[in-house]
Amino acid sequence: MQVAEDSVQTNSQGTSPLQQLRRDFGERILAEQTTCDGIPTLWIDRRHLKELLRALRDDCNPRFEMLFDITAIDERLRTHREGQPASEFTVVYHLMSFSGNTDFRVKVPLQDSALALPTMIELWPSANWYERETWDMFGIHFDGHPNLIRIVLPPTWEGHALRKEHPARATEMEPFSLDDEQQDIEQEALKFNPEDWGMQRQSETSEFMFLNLGPNHPSVHGAFRIALQLDGEVIVDAVPDIGYHHRGAEKMAERQTWHTYIPYTDRIDYLGGVMNNMPYVLAVEMMAGIEVPERVKVIRVMLSEMFRICSHLLFYGTFAQDVGQMSPLFYMFVERERMFNIIESICGARMHPGWFRIGGVAQDLPNGWEKRIKELLDFMPARLDEYDSMVMNNGILKRRTQGIGVYNTAEAFNWGITGAGLRATGYEWDFRKQRPYSGYENFEFDVPIAVNGDCYDRCAIRIEEMRQSLRIIKQCLDNMPSGHYKSDHPLTTPPRKEKTMQDIETLINHFLSVSWGPVIPPNEVTVSIEATKGINSYYLVSDGSSTSYRTRIRTPSFAHLQMIPEMSRGFMVADLIAIIASIDFVMADVDR
Amino acid sequence: MSWELQPADEASSPKPGGSSFDEFIRRNLMMAKLEDMVAWGRKNSIWPFNFGLSCCYVEMATAFTARHDIARFGAEVIRATPRQADMIVIAGTVFRKMAPVVKLLYDQLLEPKWVISMGSCANSGGMYDIYSVVQGVDKFLPVDVYVSGCPPRPEALLQGLILLQESIGRERRPLSWLINDQGIIQKQERPVQRKIRQAERIAATELRSPDDV
Repeated sequence: MQVAEDSVQTNSQGTSPLQQLRRDFGERILAEQTTCDGIPTLWIDRRHLKELLRALRDDCNPRFEMLFDITAIDERLRTHREGQPASEFTVVYHLMSFSGNTDFRVKVPLQDSALALPTMIELWPSANWYERETWDMFGIHFDGHPNLIRIVLPPTWEGHALRKEHPARATEMEPFSLDDEQQDIEQEALKFNPEDWGMQRQSETSEFMFLNLGPNHPSVHGAFRIALQLDGEVIVDAVPDIGYHHRGAEKMAERQTWHTYIPYTDRIDYLGGVMNNMPYVLAVEMMAGIEVPERVKVIRVMLSEMFRICSHLLFYGTFAQDVGQMSPLFYMFVERERMFNIIESICGARMHPGWFRIGGVAQDLPNGWEKRIKELLDFMPARLDEYDSMVMNNGILKRRTQGIGVYNTAEAFNWGITGAGLRATGYEWDFRKQRPYSGYENFEFDVPIAVNGDCYDRCAIRIEEMRQSLRIIKQCLDNMPSGHYKSDHPLTTPPRKEKTMQDIETLINHFLSVSWGPVIPPNEVTVSIEATKGINSYYLVSDGSSTSYRTRIRTPSFAHLQMIPEMSRGFMVADLIAIIASIDFVMADVDR
Repeated sequence: MSWELQPADEASSPKPGGSSFDEFIRRNLMMAKLEDMVAWGRKNSIWPFNFGLSCCYVEMATAFTARHDIARFGAEVIRATPRQADMIVIAGTVFRKMAPVVKLLYDQLLEPKWVISMGSCANSGGMYDIYSVVQGVDKFLPVDVYVSGCPPRPEALLQGLILLQESIGRERRPLSWLINDQGIIQKQERPVQRKIRQAERIAATELRSPDDV
């Protein structure tokens, strides 16, 4: 209802946030930039940054509730910067308005000699980790930040990895070795020191215990660590420690061609398979101006929804296991295996097919695919019903998860929570509905929401999402358009083969696009999708070459983990395990 | 040492030509050297450490579950602490930040202990020749079996496990402080599978077309 009211107001007043800011900030706006995604982009000096962001958050119509992302660009080697203010390092703030269903981008130019700007934690608590990451990767200082220390790279690291002068390859650096002395230094650096985080070692009544959970613990789902401050069994405070899974995916994009980067996207949310390719190829296609055939859209939707089910099944099983049910996981992996068989028969691989292409998909659907999909639609619904009675109706599971880890919609916005975590608070928002991409507007499906915002609800939503995904897959099966699996556009990679045999021009183009890779025109673009774990977004900067100049991957899990202390204070350690399980994250989606 | 399994419902009828008394003895007594018995036991009761780094761990977990069922190979007792385990599968990318942790956990495993390196990242860094990734876990750990793939299928991990088991079965270690020499007496050669299977693989002439399911 809030949504409807706000959008009506915007229309009646007729002033967009951009016009409003032009009026209020006038001369202080350094420049306006147009990007091909149509997101309004303003350049502002760091002195006025806070005021501008506050205006966007509080005064604009619609209001921008969420700080979606903070990142930076090392501009020193960039050639195409027409119309942009002089800058050696640009800090980019990406805001999202849910009530107005729109985005806003604010850029701050900085010189290498004075890399500092004020922290925004006051406006959005979620800024904390994003600022730490920007400091870690670029060496940009945020004045007033309480813990501006490394977050992704090891505490002993030297240099800032996403600066252009930092080596990209491990083989360009000194070979890694780990002797006993170095081992001691590294272990010492990883030690948790409560005083660094402003924690007391005792209260008036009791002495606190500090418990280190991870980075290898069966219930933290990978290489993730939390230091807990405990009063008996009760959690007083928690400090999540990430970065044990940093694979340098953003730096990698600066040396892979636009085409050969696709397999790396698969491994970001490694349970999401080809769904990870989607925002990336959509972003590149938007810059290249490629329209894909209807058939490609539907194939992409079908495979993405299959991976959504696979990922949710794994979440479902591990969620039940983490609160003490051993068997459901074993049943659910059987279903997962059956789905992987189908995926493999279509894409040729199980977990990481890397199957989408710029302008299409790798190959057409194989003969007989309909039969396999039909089998899936036949067996899955009954299995999901059975799991409901096995897991969701189980009294112990209910008592372990209901009323645990509760937050409301406003808190979700403050912390950058998206996906099922946001919908569990009762806020109906799904990218596939609000801003349909790849033809989702043609499908009938519902967006499940819940009311309590607790662990149980987050699980219940994902279960219903699996049913909705099945509905979408059914519609794909019934209405698969005919046509080509690749676009006709010259930047499609690899291009259609049959044409290359016709004349020398297309043969040369084919040769270049296969050997060098396609050259994407200079531009900037952000594309977001509703991924398995929340909103996954790629911010690409092309400088008109065969590789990306800067690739920023905004992943949902990064934001979600930052909220763990907020969600778990006052609960018991066992509840923390249920909370972690209910978030549904993988560490590759956090650290990239 | 020789032994075999037989379905329970096959009555104790002797093999043709053998006497029933010999058969009875054969089924109820096993003669073996102590060190052979120990090696046999070690081989068939590997306790893996519950340890995962990234994507490969998901395929490793798949190997534990119903379809692939690692219990068939006696390696289903997954331990959550290295103090109770004797095998670690390095399932996933070895990160610079994680390497000291992996080293610590390896040091905490009890002897005798074995390492399976699972997937391209753990084998060599794989597709991640990048500043934050160690180019292969063998930079700081001794590896017994390398399993290739990105990620390897669960079947590949199981094959790696079988190879490790065979090698453990052939290994002879000291039985106690008092009996025989110390140290591993028979260190096994571990041949490259690609060489062994090359002839068989290259003999394949009919490859399935990707156009049909």
